[in-house]
Amino acid sequence: MGQMFSSLLSRLWGSKEVRILILGLDGAGKTTILYRLQIGEVVTTIPTIGFNVETVNYKNIKFQVWDLGGQTSIRPYWRCYYTNTDAIIYVVDSVDKDRIATSKEELLAMLDEEELKDAALLVFANKQDMEGAMSVMDVSNALGLSLLKERTWTIFKCSAVTGEGLTEGMDWLVNTIEGKK
Amino acid sequence: MSVIILFEYNTYYKAAVTKFTQNALADLRRQNFFSTAKKGENFELKADLNSEYKERRKDTVKRVIANMTIGKDVSGLFADVVKNMQTDDIELKKLVYLYLINYAKSQPELVILAVNTFVKDTDDPNPLIRALAIRTMGCLRVEEITNYLCEPLRKCLRDDNPYVRKTAAICVAKLYDLNPQLTVDNGFVSTLQEMISDSNPVVVANAVAALSEINDSSSQKGLFNINNNILAKLLAALNESTEWGQICILTTLADYVPVDEKEAETIVERVIPRLQHANASVVLSAVKVFMVYMNNNYITSEKTIQTIVKKMTPPLVTLVSDHSEIQYVALRNINLILQKRNDILNQEIRVFFCKYNDPPYVKLEKLEVMIQLCNEKNIDQVLSEFKEYCNEVDVDFVRRSVRAIGRCAIKLESAAERCVNVLLELISSHINYVLQEAIVVMKDIFRKYPHSYEGVIVNLCKNLESLDEPEAKASLIWIIGEYAEKIDNANELLEFFLENFKEESSMVQLQLITAIVKLFLKKPSQAQDSVQKILQTATQSCDNPDIRDRAYIYWRLLSTNPQATKAVVLAEKPPIESRTKIVSDSLLDELISNIGTLASVYYKPASLFGGRTGDTKIFSTPAEDADADIEGVPGTTIGGVENLLDLDFDDSAPPKSATPPSSAAPKSGMNDLLDLLNDDVPSMGNTMGLSQPTTPSTNVQNDLMNILGSSSNNNSMSSSSILSPQNSGLGGLGGLNMNMMSTPQPQPQKTIMLPANEGKGMEISAVFVKRQNKFFMELTFSNKTAQPLSEIAIQFNKNTYGLVPLAPIGINVIPPNGSKDFTLPLGTNGPVQQMNPPTLLQIAVKNNLGVYYFQHILPTSLFETQSSTPSMPNFSFNNNSSNNNSNNNSGLDGLLI
Repeated sequence: MGQMFSSLLSRLWGSKEVRILILGLDGAGKTTILYRLQIGEVVTTIPTIGFNVETVNYKNIKFQVWDLGGQTSIRPYWRCYYTNTDAIIYVVDSVDKDRIATSKEELLAMLDEEELKDAALLVFANKQDMEGAMSVMDVSNALGLSLLKERTWTIFKCSAVTGEGLTEGMDWLVNTIEGKK
Repeated sequence: MSVIILFEYNTYYKAAVTKFTQNALADLRRQNFFSTAKKGENFELKADLNSEYKERRKDTVKRVIANMTIGKDVSGLFADVVKNMQTDDIELKKLVYLYLINYAKSQPELVILAVNTFVKDTDDPNPLIRALAIRTMGCLRVEEITNYLCEPLRKCLRDDNPYVRKTAAICVAKLYDLNPQLTVDNGFVSTLQEMISDSNPVVVANAVAALSEINDSSSQKGLFNINNNILAKLLAALNESTEWGQICILTTLADYVPVDEKEAETIVERVIPRLQHANASVVLSAVKVFMVYMNNNYITSEKTIQTIVKKMTPPLVTLVSDHSEIQYVALRNINLILQKRNDILNQEIRVFFCKYNDPPYVKLEKLEVMIQLCNEKNIDQVLSEFKEYCNEVDVDFVRRSVRAIGRCAIKLESAAERCVNVLLELISSHINYVLQEAIVVMKDIFRKYPHSYEGVIVNLCKNLESLDEPEAKASLIWIIGEYAEKIDNANELLEFFLENFKEESSMVQLQLITAIVKLFLKKPSQAQDSVQKILQTATQSCDNPDIRDRAYIYWRLLSTNPQATKAVVLAEKPPIESRTKIVSDSLLDELISNIGTLASVYYKPASLFGGRTGDTKIFSTPAEDADADIEGVPGTTIGGVENLLDLDFDDSAPPKSATPPSSAAPKSGMNDLLDLLNDDVPSMGNTMGLSQPTTPSTNVQNDLMNILGSSSNNNSMSSSSILSPQNSGLGGLGGLNMNMMSTPQPQPQKTIMLPANEGKGMEISAVFVKRQNKFFMELTFSNKTAQPLSEIAIQFNKNTYGLVPLAPIGINVIPPNGSKDFTLPLGTNGPVQQMNPPTLLQIAVKNNLGVYYFQHILPTSLFETQSSTPSMPNFSFNNNSSNNNSNNNSGLDGLLI
């Protein structure tokens, strides 16, 4: 009886995973951020044709982190992964000023989706270590974040290579998700 | 009181409201149920595949696979199943891979989602996962991901683990099938060539298998060249390979043309131990190598040949004592081998004696082998066996045994008399079917040895009345006619048959006419009446044109010039030969090089089985050329190129000089085609296809002819049909021509209206036609799925012309990969709605998998009133071209929007 109860418990809390999507245009640094979070190292990556999924333990919460390829050909299939998503990490290449408008379009289209209505949004203005990177404010304005309604969101500057800003972002995520429960 | 009434009223009111709401809710639910088709098992599965719990996801994938295996369509869950692909759980991974292989083709664009996982898996520390990933990737066969396959494949080809390398080698062949250019450009073919030198024999065998498959399917020959070095590697790997590997290597060796006899002998020496292998296919493959080498004179030394023959005998004998299925395969192959070399096994004839419990198919093959093997020394033994078989209960086998006696008589002149005696014994046994068969056989013996055994005719004629089979009757009638001068009462005997002339089968009728004419020519007095009577009956009251024609010919001959008639009818007949040949020589050569395959069991060219075409030869290249070849430099196709043009391998030493591909190219197209068609009739191809100065139109004819001729192998037949006027322009496709004639309108081409990828694997091509002022839709449904399709129905939307189907689709089930035709009658009395353009027709088709919508622009010509039916088309060529023109004019037919 007790065994059955404990297995029931573990099923309820133990192995439940918080599902997070990492999205963004190709070359924004999604895969690098994923592995920086998981193993704490910078890995050499190739363009992700498809997806990566890893389990990241952060502050005793098990995150199931999905990193989806950002190529134009794969973006239409992002929607296949929206179900049961708790939070979205949207990664922007702060140096790529030319495509920030495209990035905004993709972001807004995604946020329109019914399935992501309750998902928290964490934007990473990545590649802050590089010359000519836009500031957090610039990125935020370019994406029109301030106009978002009924959405828990925030933006952090970060650099996947140096690791700067990632912890802050994750802390925010943990707080937000715990607050929701 | 009023309170109570009020209360009651209230309850009543409440109940009514509740009932109303319930009804409304139920309605709503029902509507919902209909509007969202998503709900159902697949919907649940989809939710569970996205579950937060690992275990539940795994269980769900198992349920999906279970559904897949029983034929339910779960392709809609593709994206959700693929999400579970990245996992440490190897069991789950295998299940997802299995799902991918099954459904990749139906969801080609979604396969891209799996690519990254494949790439990661080919980097996995576990070699099993690396191999699994590369194997699965090769099996997907989806154009969209071939480009992404290259990098992982390159990695796996150079993997440290032999298991991964051998799996990757096969994957190259699969990729080549999908995209040859990409495979060559990425250098995979040259990597395979390097892999022949691999340290692991399994890898070598798979590289060889992949290379020979690529070489067979490739138009560019010379992708697989063997030099000294490679040959040494192959021979070294031979001993250590698995059974499959050995078969592969042996097949390659059989295709290889040794540089000189010394090399051939070395190969033979190394292959001989393979005869000891327990696997029948390895044994037969080794036998194939020897047979090909002896057949092509790679080996001429009498001593070596003797050794080979001696070594080959025991393993073949062993095969004949295996399971009956293997026995059958062995016997079929032995039969072929004996066609080439009857010195093998001639000491072993006892092995081929039929056992009472042999299955019938084995017995019949054994009979064939016994006929092949019989000679002066063993004929008595063989004959007594045959006589024994005639007492068996299996009628068919008995008949074949009687025939076998006859064939021995024809084969061995010295034994003919003994055979005839046995036959006479059988005739006196009065078993009806034995008797009849014996008479048929006697006829053949008379043909072969005329005027030798006339004494037995009396015995044959005694049984006249018990004959009831046409062939036996016809044979006896022929004998009587042929020896009419020796038989006193020939006229009486023939008149016996004449009574029922009209009821006889055409075979008997024909023989009877001839025999009576012969009798008349030999003994005019006896047959005056009969000849008159039979010719009259045959010309006036026979429906069969062959019989009438023959009667007319005799009649006219007799009435114009009886002497000439004698010369024609009683002419010396060409001698018959023993029919021990089962196939033509050229086919035999091809079959010999395919020993141990389906081709050699069915005695049909290998190309019919979608396999090797038989004319692929692997030529050796000098070692210094090998580098250039490995680099795959275009233009250095050594050897092999002439192969396309050269029909006769026997007299040509392995050609070494390279024909510049540029000069070969313009010719090879046509010759290649001819070669292909002429696989087994090269002589015909030479005379008809190549040496004749032909106009383009006759060229087409020849090609058609060759298609027909290649199977029948009958020159006279095919050339006569070229000459026959009614077939001009269409070769031998007379039957088709007739069909074209019978339909007064040109036959428009069907167009694909619903491609398979839009119809969940059901492809619909159709055409709208009008015949006798009625409209029809001619449909072809093709099932490209792996499950049967059923419940097919069709509907039209309202349209300008009020077109509406008049009947349901009369197709119950379309089997997997099958297709069915159906002609749907259409009415014009359906609901009308002006469409834009007016000829637009929207169609809905349903089957057990779903509903599909598509639209079609009807050809305007369909609705033009035709003043008269168009003139009957003469030939299908004109027919097609005019038809195409009309389609082009209308410009709308078959256009999909």
